[in-house]
Amino acid sequence: MQRETRIANIILGALSALSLLFLSLPLSTPVRSFKAGAGYLFDPLAYHGEAGYRRIAGSPERIRQLLQADIENESLRAELRRGEWLSTTVSSLSLENERLRKALVLKAPSGRFPAWAHVMERDPVHWYRSLVVDAGADRGISLNDPVLGPRDGRLVAVGRVVDVRPNTSTVLLLTDELSAAAAYLSSGTLEGLVQGQDGPRLRMNYLNAEAQLSDGDSVYTSPTSATFPPDVLIGRVARVNPRDPFLTFQSVEITPAADASSLQELMILRARPVEGEGKPPAYVPAYAPPSAPAAPVATSTAPAIAISTAAAPRPRRRAAAAPASAPKPEPVMADDAFEINPEDPR
Amino acid sequence: MIGFVRGFVLFIGAMFLQWWWNTHLAYWGAAPQFLLVLTILIAARRGPVLGMLAGFAWGLYLDVARAELFGASALILTLAAYFVGVARRQIDLRAAGPLAATTFLFTWAAFIGLGLLGLVFTKSFEWGGFIAVALTPFLNVAAVTTAAIVWDVREDR
Repeated sequence: MQRETRIANIILGALSALSLLFLSLPLSTPVRSFKAGAGYLFDPLAYHGEAGYRRIAGSPERIRQLLQADIENESLRAELRRGEWLSTTVSSLSLENERLRKALVLKAPSGRFPAWAHVMERDPVHWYRSLVVDAGADRGISLNDPVLGPRDGRLVAVGRVVDVRPNTSTVLLLTDELSAAAAYLSSGTLEGLVQGQDGPRLRMNYLNAEAQLSDGDSVYTSPTSATFPPDVLIGRVARVNPRDPFLTFQSVEITPAADASSLQELMILRARPVEGEGKPPAYVPAYAPPSAPAAPVATSTAPAIAISTAAAPRPRRRAAAAPASAPKPEPVMADDAFEINPEDPR
Repeated sequence: MIGFVRGFVLFIGAMFLQWWWNTHLAYWGAAPQFLLVLTILIAARRGPVLGMLAGFAWGLYLDVARAELFGASALILTLAAYFVGVARRQIDLRAAGPLAATTFLFTWAAFIGLGLLGLVFTKSFEWGGFIAVALTPFLNVAAVTTAAIVWDVREDR
């Protein structure tokens, strides 16, 4: 105990003296140096302590921000999902729009301006002969304008305009016995004349007598047709008629591609647009477009007018298949077998 | 070695606790003086020598943060440890009551001593304010009681 007391007294004296020295000479160099050294030792405690305290004290705010960010993240994810759905919808609509454009907004043959019209009236007595559409002179329809109709996503030949009134027009169907159009077969590219028979079928005459004909061939309008643009599908060969020894040509029965009984809308290729109409008018028909774009069938050698008759490649003509002696349709027969329009130069 | 590390951690932790409480939890200048409390506790439990060494070092830490009177806190804590060491021969400072009373008295003594040192060396009485002087002894008593309980619990293990 005595020793401890003695040591305590010594330490007390030393520390008290040192403290009094610090208090007495605060501006002296040793004291200031000692204070600086003590500050060097002790200041990091407060400095890092404050930094750590701020970090810890900021944790609730950071947690709050984290939670808020999580909520915003969920909201943005939901918005993104809506955006993805919207994007998918837009993409689908874009594809549909492209399909419709291909199916409907057709590139008309040069010098032609397409106009869609509804079938307004049919004569039951003359079912295969004519029909009336709701487009007339007010829409720039003129006599002998070719009329096409949609069928399986492509346009096929239907007939031509034979009567124009202010708001309506009469279309003479290809199945009318007075109709005729120059055409060719896709397999042999043989030219002939397609004529109506007042029935559901057509007849193609003046085919090369030596040619091998077969059922199922497609029949297209010929470039020599004065009314129809070339390469428009007319129908398919349904039957090859037996050869007549008294005739120098063959004939086939054709099933028209256009079903007159189901036509609802028709495209009339006008020679000129109405005043103020600079480009082909947009028109949405009532029929449902096919799911596949109206592109030419790859396996078919025939082009599809549904895309572009100007750009579509023409099937190669097998000129050698037709002997020189074969009767060739007269140019005057190339299109029509009759004259309705007295002003027609033909 | 373990005792040394424990003592070092206690030394640093006490300073950190004093700084943190004074900086962020002190109201109207009233805050427990943990360094004074621990100096008294160490002197009461371990004797005046260790108490004076710890008190002097902690006092320097308090004086570093002060613009004037460098050495005043070191002197006061050193004297506090010494007198507690002397008092423990007469009073059983292991009991909570005497320890609390000693802490209470030494807190006021520290206030007065600091004021007098200021009066002597800077010609102005260092006054902490009525609220601080009135509340701090009670806060110190609470702190020393808590620290003594923790100390005793750890010693009993």
